[in-house]
Amino acid sequence: MTETENNLKPRIGVFSLTGCAGDQLMILNLEDTLIELLSKFDIKSFQEASSYSENTNLDIAFVEGSVSTEHDLKTLKNIREKSSLLIAIGDCAVNGCVQAMRNKQTSIAERMIDVYGVEDNIYKTFEPKGVGEYVKVDFEIPGCPIEKEEALNALISLLNGDAPLIPDYPVCVECKLNGYPCVIIEEGKPCLGPIITAGCDARCPGLGLDCVGCRGPIKGETNAKAELEALRKRGYADKYIINRLRFFAGNFDDIQILGVKENSKGDK
Amino acid sequence: MTVKNSLTPLEAQITRIEEMTSIEKLFYLKLIDLNTVKEFHYTPGQFLEVSIPGVGEAPISICDVQREHGRLQLCIRKVGRVTNAIHRLKKGDRLWIRGPYGNGFPMNLMENHDLLLIAGGLGIAPLRSVLQYALLHRNSYGSITVMYGVKCYSMMLFREEFLKLFREGDKLNVKFLLAYEDSDDFQCYQLSCERSDRCMSGLVTKLIESTAITPDNTYAVVCGPPIMYKFVVKELTQRGFTPAQIYMTMERRMKCGVGKCGHCITGSSNSIKYVCKDGPVFTYWDALKTRGLM
Amino acid sequence: MYKKLFKEDLEQFTSTLKQFGSIYGPVKKTSRGCEFTELTDFKDLQLNYTRTMIPPKKFFLKPKEPLYSLNKDAGFKEIIDDSKTVLLGVHSCDINALNLLDRVYLNQFPDLHYKTRRENTIIIGVSCEPDDYCFCTSTGSSHALKGFDLFLHEISDSYIVRVGSMKGFQIITQNKHIIKNPSLTDIKEFKEYEAERLSKITLNLNVNGIQDILDLSFDHAVWQENADICFGCGSCNLVCPTCRCYDVIDYLKLDLKNGLKVRRWDSCMLKQHALVAGGLNFRPTRVERLYNRFNCKMSCSEDSLNCVGCGRCTVYCPADINFVEVLKQVRED
Repeated sequence: MTETENNLKPRIGVFSLTGCAGDQLMILNLEDTLIELLSKFDIKSFQEASSYSENTNLDIAFVEGSVSTEHDLKTLKNIREKSSLLIAIGDCAVNGCVQAMRNKQTSIAERMIDVYGVEDNIYKTFEPKGVGEYVKVDFEIPGCPIEKEEALNALISLLNGDAPLIPDYPVCVECKLNGYPCVIIEEGKPCLGPIITAGCDARCPGLGLDCVGCRGPIKGETNAKAELEALRKRGYADKYIINRLRFFAGNFDDIQILGVKENSKGDK
Repeated sequence: MTVKNSLTPLEAQITRIEEMTSIEKLFYLKLIDLNTVKEFHYTPGQFLEVSIPGVGEAPISICDVQREHGRLQLCIRKVGRVTNAIHRLKKGDRLWIRGPYGNGFPMNLMENHDLLLIAGGLGIAPLRSVLQYALLHRNSYGSITVMYGVKCYSMMLFREEFLKLFREGDKLNVKFLLAYEDSDDFQCYQLSCERSDRCMSGLVTKLIESTAITPDNTYAVVCGPPIMYKFVVKELTQRGFTPAQIYMTMERRMKCGVGKCGHCITGSSNSIKYVCKDGPVFTYWDALKTRGLM
Repeated sequence: MYKKLFKEDLEQFTSTLKQFGSIYGPVKKTSRGCEFTELTDFKDLQLNYTRTMIPPKKFFLKPKEPLYSLNKDAGFKEIIDDSKTVLLGVHSCDINALNLLDRVYLNQFPDLHYKTRRENTIIIGVSCEPDDYCFCTSTGSSHALKGFDLFLHEISDSYIVRVGSMKGFQIITQNKHIIKNPSLTDIKEFKEYEAERLSKITLNLNVNGIQDILDLSFDHAVWQENADICFGCGSCNLVCPTCRCYDVIDYLKLDLKNGLKVRRWDSCMLKQHALVAGGLNFRPTRVERLYNRFNCKMSCSEDSLNCVGCGRCTVYCPADINFVEVLKQVRED
């Protein structure tokens, strides 16, 4: 490949903050198209794929992981400065994901004692948050981990110069499009589908399982109170429901404000 | 399957592009298939669904009058996924169109009447087609008054064309008035020095306030951002315009253009309108009957 | 024209339908009921069912379907599914709903995809088994007067078969040996069975003049109360046999040249439904969307209400919003 051809390709970098690197892995798992896909980009950094890394200006930066340390924050700000587009990939980068499940519930000091037995914040951590809390994010690709198909379509859109299309409707839509029986209505399962961002093609309800919310609530449209109410009616205890909601969405205001009703005793 | 599908987009070529503002370009299109050219008729106020394969479709109103078969002009603001992609196209490139759709303005009904065209921002695009139609059939219409509200000189669409009308319109019995929001805009200020009764700082409603207009034998035709209608209609009704004398063209999410996809539905159960099919041109009377239309 | 088919001959009758297309019928899927599924074994057919979650509109306006293959240079090429289908066991409410969809999809700008499948599908109706959620007698859709090829009205040991089209007549002709003429006793029984069926539809919604009431009640507290418990999940729309909103999305392949234009069902309860490019949303709040949905359902197209009283939106609402109850509260009667 000539130097000029390479120059026309978007320069990209894939970066990890605090997280499991599972989202990078999902991109690498696009086995059928991986070679073709990667050949369309000029990859300057991709931790999971190659030790090669170049600290340079980028057209697009993909960031996974939450911001939970000073180091994360510094890295993130550096990426933002050097990149025309910054795309949060995976729930950790979008909203903090499972790392945020106890945010505003237990302090960092309490967590230090529970985990390390010392109160001092030796790792200089703070409550994990999505990257959008600190820098401008151009697009978000949710999921824990991200969906391969969705990521591929997003990359294709970007290559074509278009904004990626990410659903802003709930999993219920995909259940109905697929004709999957509703696990809440048919079986009284504690499905979070009504408030969770679609894009997984209702993977779990399609297997008869209740949605655990791994793609995070729909920003600006989540009726968490209604979910609490709907599951209460089906016999679930407040604590169970709230923990379930917090699992992937501890950073959402409308989930944080949900309080356990006194004497709430579900039988499940 | 050989059945002709009237909803399949037709191929068109861009024959010319004019950059009008930082966010708006004027595209000149030519239909490619000669068989479809003959069947392609449009009237002022109608719109097209413009496609970029692989990106999507957007409803765009046609901004000129049909002169030659199969040729048309679209003034497109860069505002979303599709229009951004259209803005990346160059002269000679192709795009795909469906239509024309919508009812359009009642040009026949308005014959032998004076016309008062009131536009804000990009709203001038469909009204330009009304203006051009009336000028093409000049003897069929009475006096024409155009009131155009812009943010500033650099955001003024069809600038040369309209400045000519501003200065020389009287020869054609056309009064062209301009309102500009940015009071510091020097070029607009110069225009207001040139003709203080025809160009003033303020919103388009200011032009209505400061101009002698009567509802007698007149139709008002309005197009602009949704917020504008309320104020313009208030001014007009205060001056004695009846709800049936005021025509306006509405914006909605018109995904299919043919009254199927449902996104442009508006109203309450006793008057549901598909803006794409029942409109996009409505009278103020329609708006009074249909909750949420205006 | 009315004929008679003994229930014991139904299997044989069904087997002759194969020549008209793949047979789909109600097959038990969940504790709650049946879904229209391709019939591979006659034993799976459950003609005595209450309602499917997904209405038969899915055969005509598919939940997800590629409309065109696209190419950046060549444009769009239609993808048409012209396979032949027989829908066996469609209820009156759902047939009436299809008649409503026809008005939208077969009008001045016919939708070729819908039209092709409508023309390639045989519809055989069957009498229903109403439950407490059915209110079709209120919406004037408890009987289908047209929109089917055959209609099987159940009586004790047989069906009174109404022939609704030439295609239906053709099926009857091919089954001459098992098709009889109804006797006077059969007709008496038919009346009894109809009365029995109708007596089971006890839920009543007074739709007389509801349009005025809804328009005047746009700020009634009931809208906000229900918007507060509504997820905005769109389930009500997606299971509705008369809801027909769709969205269209272009997908590009990695070659950035070829792709597909895909249509999928949409819902007016979703926040982007009335959102235009540039960010202006004509129904930004859930309460506006809820009001719009109820109004759309209670509006009329050519004097027919856009609701057929099937009860699906209530049954399948995860927030337990009761369609009829909400309207009763608005009516305050």
